Amino acid sequence: MGSRRGRTHFILVSSLLLALTTAACNGNEETTAPEATGNGGATKASESAKNSPAMKEGPFGKYDPPITMTTVRALPDLESYRKGESIDDNLWTRDLKEILGIEVVNKWKVNHKQYNNKITVSMISGDMPDFYQVDAKQLQQIVEAGQAADLTEVYQKYASDVTRQSYEEFNSIKLKGATFDGKLMALPLNGGVPGGAQMIWIRKDWLDALHLEPPRTMDDVIRIALAFTNDDPDRNGKDDTYGLNLMKDLFGGWAGLDGFMNGYHAYAYNPANGSGTDLTFVKNAEGKVVLADTLSEVKIALGKLQELYKAGAIPKEFSVLDGNKAGELATTGKVGMAYGEFWVGTWPIAGMKKENPAVDWRPYPIVSADDAPVHPGGRGDIPTSFIVVNKNAKHPEAAIKILNYFHEKVSGPNRDPNYHQVKEGDVNYQVFSLSPIIGPGFSNQNQIDNDLVQEALRTGDVSKLTSSAKTYYDGIMDYKKGNLDMWLWNALFGQDGAYSITNAYDRKTPPVTSVYMGQPTTAMVTKGPILRDLEVKIFTEIINGTRPVDDFDAAFVAEWYKQGGQEILDEVAASGRIK
Amino acid sequence: MSSKRWRMQLPLHVMIWPGLILVLLFCYGPMVGLIIAFQDFVPTNGLFGSEFVGLKHFEYMYSLPQTTEVIRNTLFISVMKIVAGLLAPIATALLLNEIRRESFKRSVQTLIYLPHFLSWVILSGILIEVLSPTNGIVNSLLASMGVEPIFFLGDQSWFPFVMVGTDVWKEFGFGTIVYLAALTSINPSLYEAAVIDGANRWQQTLYITLPGMLPIIVLMLTLSLGNVLNAGFDQIFNLYNPSVYATGDILDTYVYRLAFVNAQFSVATAVGLFKSVISFTLISISYWVAYRFANYRIF
Repeated sequence: MGSRRGRTHFILVSSLLLALTTAACNGNEETTAPEATGNGGATKASESAKNSPAMKEGPFGKYDPPITMTTVRALPDLESYRKGESIDDNLWTRDLKEILGIEVVNKWKVNHKQYNNKITVSMISGDMPDFYQVDAKQLQQIVEAGQAADLTEVYQKYASDVTRQSYEEFNSIKLKGATFDGKLMALPLNGGVPGGAQMIWIRKDWLDALHLEPPRTMDDVIRIALAFTNDDPDRNGKDDTYGLNLMKDLFGGWAGLDGFMNGYHAYAYNPANGSGTDLTFVKNAEGKVVLADTLSEVKIALGKLQELYKAGAIPKEFSVLDGNKAGELATTGKVGMAYGEFWVGTWPIAGMKKENPAVDWRPYPIVSADDAPVHPGGRGDIPTSFIVVNKNAKHPEAAIKILNYFHEKVSGPNRDPNYHQVKEGDVNYQVFSLSPIIGPGFSNQNQIDNDLVQEALRTGDVSKLTSSAKTYYDGIMDYKKGNLDMWLWNALFGQDGAYSITNAYDRKTPPVTSVYMGQPTTAMVTKGPILRDLEVKIFTEIINGTRPVDDFDAAFVAEWYKQGGQEILDEVAASGRIK
Repeated sequence: MSSKRWRMQLPLHVMIWPGLILVLLFCYGPMVGLIIAFQDFVPTNGLFGSEFVGLKHFEYMYSLPQTTEVIRNTLFISVMKIVAGLLAPIATALLLNEIRRESFKRSVQTLIYLPHFLSWVILSGILIEVLSPTNGIVNSLLASMGVEPIFFLGDQSWFPFVMVGTDVWKEFGFGTIVYLAALTSINPSLYEAAVIDGANRWQQTLYITLPGMLPIIVLMLTLSLGNVLNAGFDQIFNLYNPSVYATGDILDTYVYRLAFVNAQFSVATAVGLFKSVISFTLISISYWVAYRFANYRIF
């Protein structure tokens, strides 16, 4: 994430900022820019830098003599290195040593699947490296155990401009996610612009066959679902189609209910296979924080779903279908509409165009049940992955310098493609992933790229495209020339593609995200799974008609509060981490 | 004991040590970790640094709303599996034993053994198709006999039986092979003597074959009793869904959803310990019963 390129106006703004800060820094001894990247305003600054015996100050100050920082690494399933490189010795580690005077030593490295266990074991044995990657829960434990270094000051002092911009985008949501009692205790590696906003994926060829228009209201969605079920949209003379796809987890980026609920201004989200702690809290009319899933809007949506199920528009056996099985319904031409995220364009439907060019899946924005505009639900704005610096580390600021260097090479205006992705022969080497710290960069890179692609599609001028945007643009052009393998690029970045939809959301109807910013509370961890099971069970039974819709209040909402929900709300209210 | 004898036995001792060390290291060593069942375990504080909370996690386990239901489901499903999993292979072995054509016998044996090698992840995908109420082959057959389609995997009353049925179908080939092996060890002269005494096939089965198989049957039963709280995580996890939690949720799946997903190590360990203690007790009892009533000792 965030490791793709930025854009020209963006470069202008950031170099302006860079110039301003360097000017401000000239007064004291702080300075920016490693020699290797030094160009633009940064070079001037480094020329005026003064050597201190131990190290140069500033975001890219070099340690002399070099220092050693220990860390640990998670390895991908398929490791691929260029000749002469390894996870221990590569472009990044060499640069860090030569330019920053930081020698990074991997104390151990394991497959990413074992990483969490190994970190836990290391915590038990107390043998922690100088900096290491953790998830939100581990971060909380480490902070509570007092094992994390307070980075507030070193961040203020050493963070480069690109690092700052990355961390401060979207209301500094990333920094907030790593801040405990006003202190920055970790370097967040993700978060930012919310993802997860859904759209409606519809078989346009089926719409055309039945002379239907794309939906404008939820009533249209229901009408289309019923028509797809009853009017034989595939014209095979058999009653073998469904209107709206749904899978057993109920919520999720493919064949989930999220977007359908959003249409009724409901923001329920608690997938059956999830942790039960990734909850959406909203403020109700009285300003009290409540769980979105318990509000009456959800009940209305469930009522509509029950009607659809009764009419046969939702797969009869949705409660046993996982995402793959629901995907097969789509790829075998049994279902013509599903709510989902942008990536539905890449899976499961990406290959259908090639098999049968008549198939025409298209994304449409979600629609509202009434006159009020519809906002999609969103998640992932709060960081979940962090770099913790050991409180015993002698040079906590070195971690920030490594992060600076990563951002400089991969995300900032002076970025260098050789540090991102390099193609040698037939292999694409993800060079950026070798960096000891993989910074978050800018979280809306795909959206930025999409704007560029749209512009290029209009004007035919490809000169302004970033390298990633160029890939997308070329894919679309290839598709238009008849290479149906490239359909997905058109679905994602084409005119009226999935990213144009999310961009429109971000600009006009921004996603609704949880107002709670903290990590899962104790009650969420202990009671969350039980409450999740309760919710999924009752919702499933309401949809398939085993229960009346009115059971929503007594069997779900009341039970939710009774079985621990109230406790969760109390903890959330007491956390002081409400947006 | 003479040092000469010791020297002669030394190679044997050396041979057993690696195995013994591995068992100590990987089976007994980790038992130290059981103490986290009695702690509020925080990884950062280490194995011995976490606060001791006594039986809190066991109490938590019993206080969970669905615990009794889940234990009931677990016992129901696993006892049915043990019984059906014992009878089906014995019956099959006896039937196969009556078959003269060696080639037919062998091919049946191989065919029924095959599902044993498939993982539940794969089988679940197949079963969902086969048992589908809309286009599954089973329901198509039922429909041709005029039976309304049955939602085998979504119906609370059907689900446990489907679990037992599919598990037996998957594993009975394996048991059959064990029992067939036991049959070959029965002395043929017993049958010859019985024939001379005028015993028919059924009487031979009843008085010679079954008693001859009894030690193996007792062994298999005793071993399976230790698994009475393992109702089959792989299978149920891949086939169940929220609408059958009421009858299909077992201890392992429940704990997985509750504790593992959120890394609640202490609760998970408490449940594991609880299961081990029950299994240990059951194995001990069945061992004693086997010795007492069948005069059979496993060890």
